[in-house]
This record gives sequence, C-alpha cells and structure tokens, in this order.
Amino acid sequence: MIHFLDWANHTLFYYYLASNLAYLTMLVVALRTSAGHLRRLESVRFDWIKASPMVPPVTLLVPAHNEEQFICTAVRNLLDLDYPELEVIVINDGSTDKTLQIMQKEFSLRLVRAVYVPQVRSAPIRGLYRSDTNVRLLVVDKEPAGSKADAINAGLNAATSPYACVVDADSVLERDALLRIMVPILADPDRVVAAGGIIRVLNGSEIEGGRIRRVRLARKSIEVIQVVEYLRAFLIGRESWARGNMLMIVSGAFGMFRTDLVRAVGGFRSSAIGEDFDLVVRLHRNLLEKGADYRIEFVPDPVCWTEVPSDLRSLGRQRARWQKGLLDVLWSNRDMLFRPRYGRIGYLALPYLWLFELLAPVIEITGFATVWLAAVCGVLSWTFCLQFLLFGYGFATVISIGSVLQEELTYKRYNDWQDVARLVSYCFLEHFPYRQMHMIWRLQGLWQYLRGDMAWRPLKRQGQVDTEKTGSSPLPAS
Amino acid sequence: MGSAFDTFRKLGPASFVLKAIVFVIAADVLLLAFILLRRTYRKWYFANRDARMLAIRLKWEALISGEIPYAAWRTKPSERQLIETMVLDAYEVANPEESARLLKFMRASGLVEKRILEARHHQGWRRHKALVALARTRAPEGIRALAEGLRDRDSETRLAALRGLGRMACPEAAKEILNWVDDAGLLVPALPLQSALVQTCAERPQVLLPHLHHANTTVREVLGRVLGEVATPSLAPELLRFADDDLPELRAAAARGLSYLKPGAAVTVLSELAKDAVWFVRLRAIVSLGELRHPTVLPFLLHGLTDSNRLVRLRAAEGLVDFRKELLTIFERVVALRDQYGLHAFLTALENAGLQASLVAEIKGSTGSRETHETLLQVLGTGKLSSEPPALQENVLAKAASRS
Repeated sequence: MIHFLDWANHTLFYYYLASNLAYLTMLVVALRTSAGHLRRLESVRFDWIKASPMVPPVTLLVPAHNEEQFICTAVRNLLDLDYPELEVIVINDGSTDKTLQIMQKEFSLRLVRAVYVPQVRSAPIRGLYRSDTNVRLLVVDKEPAGSKADAINAGLNAATSPYACVVDADSVLERDALLRIMVPILADPDRVVAAGGIIRVLNGSEIEGGRIRRVRLARKSIEVIQVVEYLRAFLIGRESWARGNMLMIVSGAFGMFRTDLVRAVGGFRSSAIGEDFDLVVRLHRNLLEKGADYRIEFVPDPVCWTEVPSDLRSLGRQRARWQKGLLDVLWSNRDMLFRPRYGRIGYLALPYLWLFELLAPVIEITGFATVWLAAVCGVLSWTFCLQFLLFGYGFATVISIGSVLQEELTYKRYNDWQDVARLVSYCFLEHFPYRQMHMIWRLQGLWQYLRGDMAWRPLKRQGQVDTEKTGSSPLPAS
Repeated sequence: MGSAFDTFRKLGPASFVLKAIVFVIAADVLLLAFILLRRTYRKWYFANRDARMLAIRLKWEALISGEIPYAAWRTKPSERQLIETMVLDAYEVANPEESARLLKFMRASGLVEKRILEARHHQGWRRHKALVALARTRAPEGIRALAEGLRDRDSETRLAALRGLGRMACPEAAKEILNWVDDAGLLVPALPLQSALVQTCAERPQVLLPHLHHANTTVREVLGRVLGEVATPSLAPELLRFADDDLPELRAAAARGLSYLKPGAAVTVLSELAKDAVWFVRLRAIVSLGELRHPTVLPFLLHGLTDSNRLVRLRAAEGLVDFRKELLTIFERVVALRDQYGLHAFLTALENAGLQASLVAEIKGSTGSRETHETLLQVLGTGKLSSEPPALQENVLAKAASRS
C-alpha cells in the first residue's frame, strides 16, 4: 500500500510537471508565433484582397435548427461580411418552428433546382430555395437527422465554392473575419487546406443588430472562467500546435476548409460527437497517407463570438460532451498512434491528447486522492503535501496569466481596466474549486461514453443571441 | 551570509518544491507587473499620439502645401511616422486631384525616397514594412526597389514586394515581375503571383506574350491563367495561336479571349475547344460561345448541356437562357436531347433568370399540338423526362431539327 502510494505520488508529480511544462513551452511558442503573425499582417492590406480578381469564392455553411428568433439577423450579417465572392447556404435542419417560413418572407425565397450533388451522405432534401433579393443566398431544407454534421454535409453537397466555411447560426462573426481567415490560404493555397479562427466568449458584450457594439467581460464568475479557458485554449494551445502543423481541431463554430478535400474524406461524420475534431483528424490521416505537403492553420485575429453556458449544469453537460467527443475520435483513430507514416501527428499530437487531455481527469482525480491518502497515512508529510499543491496551483496560474498576457500583447479585445483586473483575478480563482469540478464533469463524460450513453442533453443559454445551440468544441484545456 | 535557498535545503525533500513555489510566485508577480506597466504605458502613448495627430490635423493644409518646412518634422522619427501614416491613409481614399497633391507632398518631402532607401538597405521586418509603405504610395519610382524586394531570401518579404508591385497596377511593374519569374522561376505560391500579374497586366496584357513562349511549364500555366483573366479584344488574334497549345491553361485563355472576336471566326475554334478533353477548357469555350450571343452557337451550347462536368452544363444552360426570344424552341430541343442532367441544368438556369413563368406562357400561347404542350409543361413542372409516346418524341425532334 505504502509502496503504491509512493509510486502514485511520484507519477502525479511528474505528470503535473510535464503537463505544465508542455503548456509553458506552448506559451513561449505562441508568443513568438503571434508576434510573427502580427508582423506578417502589416504587409496584408485587406482592401487589396477585396479588390483582387483572384480571390477564391467561399461558401458559408450555416446549419440552423429551430433558430426562428435569430436566423434573419444572422443571415443578414453573414451576407454583409466583407468578402468579394461569397455564397451563403443556410441548412434548415428539420426545424419544427418557423425558421424556414420566416426566411422565406424576409429574403423572398423561392423553390429552385439549384445544383445539388449528393457527394457526401446526408438526410434527404425537401427543397432548395434561392433568394430573390440576394442571389448569394441559398437555403437547403432537409429532413432532420439529429446531427449538425448531417446538416453541414447537406450544405457541402450544394456548395459551389472551392472553400467552405462552417459557421454556427447563433454566433457573431466580425465583419472582416472571412478576409482575415483567408490570409494564410491566399498566401499559399496549394498547401493550406484548412484554417480555423478564434472563438471568443460573447456573454457580457453589448450587441446591436446582431453585431458586437462593445466588448465587455461577462458578469458571472462561471463565464469569466470560461473566457480564461478559451484564451488559453486558442491563443496558447491552438496557436502553438498550428505552428508545428499539428493542429488537431478547427472549431465547428468557425472553420474554413477546402471543399474538395472535405468531400474526399466523406464530409463530416454524422455519428461523431465532436464532428469538427473528427474531420480534422481524418483530414490529417488522409493527407498523410497520400504523403501530401499540407498545412492546417490557426488564424488568431478573425473572431467569432459565441455564447457560453452560464450555469454549472449546462457547463457540466457541455464539458462531459466534449470529453465524450474526444474519446470517440481518439479511440476511432488509435491506429494512428506511433506509426511513422503519421509523423508528428502520430508521435506527438495524438499521444499528447491521450495523455494530457483524455486521461487528465482520471490521473488528476486519482492523484489527488492518493496524495491525501498518503498524507493521512503518514507516507507524505502534511507540509510537503500542501507545498506540492501550492506549487501546482502557482504553476497553473502562471499559464493562465500567460494567456491573458498573450491577449494583452496581441489582440487586446478587453480594453476596460476593470475587465482586465477581473480576468487576472480569475486566473487565480479558476484552479480551485472550478478545476476540480471540471475534472469531475470530464470523468462523467468518459463514464457516459463507456456506458454507451450518447444522449444529447440540451444546454440552457441566456439567449443573448438566441436560445439554444448545438455547441462547438474548443480543444479541451487543462 | 547564506542564500535563502540554503534555508530551504535544510528542509530536505521539500526544498525543491519550495524553490518551485518561489519561482512561480515570482513569475506571477512579474507577469502581472508587466501587464500593468504595459497598460499604463500604452494609455500614455495613445493619449500622446492622439494629441499630436490633432495638432498635425490642425495645420494639415500648411503641412501638405509645404508652408511648414519639411526639415521641421522629417528629422523627428515619431513625427515623420505619424505624418506618413496620416498621409497614406488620406491618399488611399482621395480623389485623383487630392491624390496628386498628396503624392507631390510625399515626393517633395522625401518620404518616398526614404522608403525606397529603406526598402533597399534594410533587412527582415524593417524591409518588409518599407516595401508595404512604398507600395501604398503607388509612386512609379518605387517599382525598382519593390522589384529588388522580390529577390529577398525571406519568402514573406518576397510576398510583400509582389503584393506591392501588384498594387502599382501598371505594365512596368508587370515587366519587373515577369523578368523575375523568368530568372528565378516560381519562388512564391501561384495565387499571389497570378493576382499581382492580373492587376499589373490589365492595362497592357501584351506584356505577357513574350514570356509565354520561353517560360517553363509551371510558369506558363500561371501566365496562361493570367492571360485568360486579362485578355482583351486587341489580343484576340494572338490568342488564336494558343488554341492548340499543349497546355490546357493556354487553351482556356485562348477560349476566353476568343469571345471578343467576330462570331464567324471564333465559333469554329470555340466549337473545337468545347470538345476539349480538359473540363476547364470546355468551360471557358462554352462561356465564350454564350457571350457571342449568335444563333450559330446554339448547337454547341446544346451539346454543352450533355457535358460530363456540371459546371460546363450549367454555363451552357446559362448561355442558352440568354436567347430569350427563342426560349420555347430551345426548350423543345433540350427536351429532345433526352438528357436528364442537361434538363436539370437548363431548368436551374431558367429559374435563376426568373424566366420560368414566361416560358409557361409561351408554351400555352404557341401553335403546337395540345399533346406537345402538355408534355412540355409536364417536363417544365416536374423537371423529369417522362417516358413519352415515341410519336411525340419524334415530333419534337423533327420540329427541333427543322428549326435548327
């Protein structure tokens, strides 16, 4: 018993150290990468891109299920985005409310025979509608299939552009977001096959006509903690993984993909819990198997604002779901681990996800239990036990403050002093007891998956933009 | 006197953790202090900058007209940077008269010269910035310095120079890009190069022609695509030569340019290109045939409706729908083709053009048999080719043949 506790404590210590050192390394890489990106942007004039005759067309795919409250504002905003060659395809995924009727009235939709080639699998189509007021708008009305992936696939079948961008109907894109996300693609279209933008927390900000009027930090603690999490996950995690061309997730709420490649891998997998993560892993697999020279980029400045859960119950459900999605994708792609043909994805990115993301709740919760048990049994002195926990806490705060620093040095969306002070204070507060709750939710997710419980549990939203959404997953952050 | 760590060492196994705790607390404090100081500094910096900008704005006319001696601000880097930013921002949205005045100011004050010097002598990001600023001036004297930027070792700098030359939008800039491509090959991704060439060659696409003859295959492909974008009527005879080139990009460029020729000469070549093995050559040819809007192209557009590529079918359908006076005849011939994909494309184009109702009215008002009307209306309504009685099908075919 004593031997086991001793061994467990050592394991936890080195695991914790490795996890935080990995994040520290990522912080340094991310700071360097962001600096480079900002300098690169100095040579990019967005008005030049807008005026360029060679800008590839982009199709925005907007899955919508019972979005009657917000759909018109969302579509108007999307049609109003700064991009010269834009097509917007709204996929009415079997809505039971008046989503389609409202759009028909607002945009003068009429039934058409637009090109629809069922190259990727999706539920049957009821009809295709083209707007008389704006020819760039197409609405695909389809049978419900209970998954966002299925709706996106239907949109992919109707898309006519070489690039498709998936956007949640209840998210808010900044006006120049498409121009910005296309920068790496335009610079190297042969190699860059996908690009993801940053997802930021909408809660607390002032919105007018579906657009952000003023960025403010959310009021509730649970929302502010998520802001810190999102900053860490995107500005540190994704920025640094993308630097090494090992980005494993492009958010379903805002991601740009080469249409032909998505079709080639069969589109989004309808049965996947985390369809965005699943797609990117399959793209990596497909391209690495072909020996292709490619990149999947993260672009930190095109912003998509999204509402996050504002109560513990919904947040718990969301995180459990993300953990299920993680396990689902990692398990179905376990054959990629440590295989030379998958290069750094197989040797580094996937093992990291297994060890520091998927198994994190198991190891941390077991670890905490053994540390306390060891202290109670006298294997570990109480002083050392407290020191150890204090060290872990301090190290984690360094990483969190580092993500706020990264935000401050680069994109600086929170301009109010009060907001920054609150953001920093939550860097200290998120590690106790939120982190422990988070681990329990994630453990629940693993347990639900292992039991075969794949039920979709709705998330309660404030309704800042609309009432309900399917939820896109940023890479779970430790 | 022993260090603080000596005390920790006496604690035994805990010493390492204690050191680590001290380290992380120090790191937290430093990070927080940095954020705080940076915020304070930026607040001061932007307030100061704002005040200086207002001061400059108040004496704007005197500054631009040269009443204020250039030497009064040129030697102060921050002042010069601010004025340059303001002038360039104003320059990008100015009318031609104001643009000329601002460019004159930038030249007379030496801002353009300074940027040229920086673009030539700096390295890395400073060169990068100088190239961007130089391109924003659109001053022709900057072309040489931008062209030198194309030969930089850093790919980002090369891209900045290329985009800058594209911004110049003049044949001189095109010549520099083309000479560089001739010498060095394709050192940048194709899309930015195409984009820059399209912008610079639009005025005089002839500059491309000499380079098309001796460039390597990859470069010729890129130049071919550019040619396809910028081809003008004056270039049409030259393009005929490329109609049987080995490279599909050049055949496509020829197909695009041929729409500017008179139908007689163009239709023969375009009808051949419409049967090309490469889909985008057929696409270009079909689009050009549609643009000719001459009755002789109808059989080829109808043939395009049966193409294996959906884009070709759709463009052929769009071309056919443009013949609004002969819509009924064309529809009969589309039905006679007995090609479901072609019919789908035609109906899509018809709906997109909002002509379905007028075609229905035309069918109802035409002199044909009731049976033919019903068949046509049924096809139009359902979008499906029914298993018609052979007699009717023959009737439609015969009618269509007699009209063609």
